[in-house]
Amino acid sequence: MADLLSTAVSALSAFQRGLDTTGHNIANAATEGYSRQRVEYATREAQPYGNGWLGSGVNATTVVRTYDQFLALQYRNSSSALGRQDVYAAYAERVSSVFASTDTGISAALQRFANAVQDVATAPTSIPARQALLAEANALAGEIGSQSQRLDQLAVEARGRLEAAAADVSGLARDIAGLNERIVTATARTGQPPNDLLDQRDRLIDQLSSRVAVSTVRQDDGAVNVFIGNGQALVLGGNAATLATRPDEYDAAALRLGIQSPSGFVDITAGLTGGEIGGLLDFQGQVLDPTRRALGQLAVGITTIVNDQQHAGMTLVGAAGADLFAVGDVQVLPSSRNVGSASVAVARADITALTTFDYVLESGGSGWILRRADTGAAVALTGSGTAADPFRADGLEIVVSGAAGAGDRFLVRPTMAAAADMQVVLSDPAGFAAALPVSASAAAGNSGSASIASLSVTDAADPQLRTTATITFTSAGTYSIDGGPDVAYTAGMAIEYRGWRLELAGTPSAGDTFTVAANDAGVGDNRNALALVDAFAAPTMNGATTSLADLVDRVVAEVGVQTRQAQVTRDALEVVQADSRAAVDSVSGVNLDEEAANLVRLQQAYQAAAQVVQVADTLFQTLIAAVRR
Amino acid sequence: MSTRISTAGMHAAALAALLDAQSNLARTQLQIARGTRLTSPADDPVAATRVQSLTRQIEAASQYARNSDAASNRLMAEEQALADLGSALDRVRELVLQANNATIDDDSRAMIRTEVAGRVQEMLDIANRRDAQGEYLFAGLATATRPFERSAAGVTYRGDQGQRQQAVSATQRVADGDSGYAVFQQAPGGNGTFVTRPDAGNAGTGVIGAGSVVDPTAWTGGSYTIRFVAVDAWEVVDDTAAVPTVVAAGAYASGNAISFAGISIEVSGAPAAGDSFTLAAAAPVEMFAALDDLVEALGISTGTPAGRAQLNSRLGGSLAQVDQLLGHLQQLRAGVGVRLATVDGAVASQEAATLELESLRSSLRDLDYAEAISRLNQQYVTLQAAQQSLARVGQLSLFDYL
Repeated sequence: MADLLSTAVSALSAFQRGLDTTGHNIANAATEGYSRQRVEYATREAQPYGNGWLGSGVNATTVVRTYDQFLALQYRNSSSALGRQDVYAAYAERVSSVFASTDTGISAALQRFANAVQDVATAPTSIPARQALLAEANALAGEIGSQSQRLDQLAVEARGRLEAAAADVSGLARDIAGLNERIVTATARTGQPPNDLLDQRDRLIDQLSSRVAVSTVRQDDGAVNVFIGNGQALVLGGNAATLATRPDEYDAAALRLGIQSPSGFVDITAGLTGGEIGGLLDFQGQVLDPTRRALGQLAVGITTIVNDQQHAGMTLVGAAGADLFAVGDVQVLPSSRNVGSASVAVARADITALTTFDYVLESGGSGWILRRADTGAAVALTGSGTAADPFRADGLEIVVSGAAGAGDRFLVRPTMAAAADMQVVLSDPAGFAAALPVSASAAAGNSGSASIASLSVTDAADPQLRTTATITFTSAGTYSIDGGPDVAYTAGMAIEYRGWRLELAGTPSAGDTFTVAANDAGVGDNRNALALVDAFAAPTMNGATTSLADLVDRVVAEVGVQTRQAQVTRDALEVVQADSRAAVDSVSGVNLDEEAANLVRLQQAYQAAAQVVQVADTLFQTLIAAVRR
Repeated sequence: MSTRISTAGMHAAALAALLDAQSNLARTQLQIARGTRLTSPADDPVAATRVQSLTRQIEAASQYARNSDAASNRLMAEEQALADLGSALDRVRELVLQANNATIDDDSRAMIRTEVAGRVQEMLDIANRRDAQGEYLFAGLATATRPFERSAAGVTYRGDQGQRQQAVSATQRVADGDSGYAVFQQAPGGNGTFVTRPDAGNAGTGVIGAGSVVDPTAWTGGSYTIRFVAVDAWEVVDDTAAVPTVVAAGAYASGNAISFAGISIEVSGAPAAGDSFTLAAAAPVEMFAALDDLVEALGISTGTPAGRAQLNSRLGGSLAQVDQLLGHLQQLRAGVGVRLATVDGAVASQEAATLELESLRSSLRDLDYAEAISRLNQQYVTLQAAQQSLARVGQLSLFDYL
């Protein structure tokens, strides 16, 4: 027989659970990652009586959390993508801000240096103009050096952050493994879901996926296995692996990430995507390192062009020009796994062919192989690798010595370290070579119409460059130098000898002589300075397609475009993440108004059930009174 | 079914919108404070690169303007020097004319000679003039070397033949001067084609004129001697031939022209038999050597008729030479004028280009204040509305009614 009192008590107890749960929801309205819970009610088993089944009350069967695993997965993925993009864009913005000013940046410094060269060209004997030139050279080198240093600092910072993020990942993995154990135990003990533990674990996995992209597999016992990279296990049930860092095989300052297992370190850097770690790795590989290398290429270009022109010229005191700039050498980093004793020396030979790539030189079975470090594509080598006949590729000269073990590798970075070490090595203002080391003159008695059109230096290293040479026209169509054999002459033809090149205008007559001699007195000469101005503006870089100024523009444009794209993508991902967050919230989040309504509803039901108890009591009293009479 | 919204989510979304509005406002505010649309290359990479390149071009243009200034200063200094040389030479010419007058006696001529020598010294000083930088104007590229030095052997040139170019635009280079070699050492000699000169030992009073070219195609250069075989007969000997040969001969009458090889020379007076005059193709002459020659000629004594004839011949030749020098200086001045005009043209076109570049840069970089301020107002209102609505909506709660 149905028992009204028992029915009412079941309701009271059930609604008490309901009120408890509503209270719990209200209490956790602001708890991050909390999924609202609700009590599931079921009628108690009905009692049969003669003509039917009589209900016997309600049971609170379980407390479940409102959770949609698909929405949660979507949210997790969007967090991972945003986590990557957030870090990537933030760092790209900082690189961008290094190049922010169009008035004080490298571009302006480069132009001011070129202007200062022209100021010397207008007044080659002016020491103040030459001092200003050295000051501008210092400013240019300083600008490139300091921007390079800011990029280096960013690299150090990104590395530190990568280390911290890897430690975070390991810590989160341990926490998730701990929760897995507790969840498995709790589920096994009660057969009911431990909602708050599940929420906590989901929240930790969310946090983990904002560090690095993960995939999860749910187990029957309630545990969740977490994998990162290309499927490397980070959490298996109650066991967590460690995401460890170790120095790069070539560059001890660079980090590799991997799973540290008892059997050793498994490098998974290449497989890590998404999250803060993915963002940092992408930033290093796609923005920071290319920018550092491009800056290095610029520094090498400026230094080589200026120094080469210096060597071709003559200083104010009549000496051959010396280097004005110095720049960092090619970095050659042997792999820590090399077994042989080979050493590799690399020099930059041709700035026109110089690229902004890094290379790996590997000792293969049939000799040395050069590959691009980023794509692995083979680069053709000519030469034999000896000092007399070095390997040549992409503007580099590679000399190999010693015995290499099979598979020994060297990382070759032609431009990476160049910019940071850029400096001015010329301190004497008179040392700027504005003049040509030679000058040409026509003899006073020349009767032909030939005059000197131009004189330039083709080989500044020729030891006899400044030795006086006399060109005598033995006829209008032949000449001899210093009494040597006759050489045929046609109008407009250049005469080249001992490292110089002379062009005449007009027609010489027989007996006309021209002299090329050391330009010792030519302090007012600005021909070499003008040649430097020309060389600066000429397309000399990237296969003679790009001038130095274009190179600066290119660096800024590339950084700007990458940052812009990163920002746009970040903004889009923010929307996606906010939407997926809202979707999760609309299912799992606590709405206080709803809880208030539930509170009222449950309170009323509780009051009604209490009323039923009173009715049952009244019925009982009525019955007692009837019997007592 | 309507969408369920969680209370925390609603707050978070409203807060995010508010922060967004705030950061937009801050960015506009920064743009207005800086007056530039671009606060980072990422704002507009294409414009940022373009602005950078335009700034360089503007800087380069201002450098070309400075170069042009330097070039035109130096050219003007040269022009002034050439003008001063011209007026000194004009005075020399006047003095030569004066000295050639028969009424001038040796004493007066000595005074004239002193003045001419003074003028030559003045010209030498001009030739050693320096520009504002302290560089010698006429030393070629050896601008620290004093170009003209007088010694017992005359004036020697110690500069070189170089000519300095200045870049007045990306494509134009203009020489900022002429070397002393071109100005002083390579002047056309004689009458421009040939030079006549009496033999120092002439005994008669024959005076040779500067001569002129009658038929330029027949004149092939070389050097000749006009010899008077008798007081009334002359012959011309080609001195360049291996064996001197007579190329022309004729009877002499004072004032008649002697013509051969496409040229015509007037000899007047009474040459003695055996007198001779030389005639040579004009080689480039050194200006100071020619003037020294003139000064020397002015010292010839006119005590004898032969001396006077010698003087007249020499002064006649010198006059032609001075005229050539004046023409030479004129030509140089014209060349300087052309270069100055080139520089001015380059400056004008640079200025026009700079204006254009600056307006282009401004349109890329500078902020449109009207637009920015109206945007600021709009963002301000948006932010205010977001704040107020957040505050109002946040107050709504069913709990208030329980």
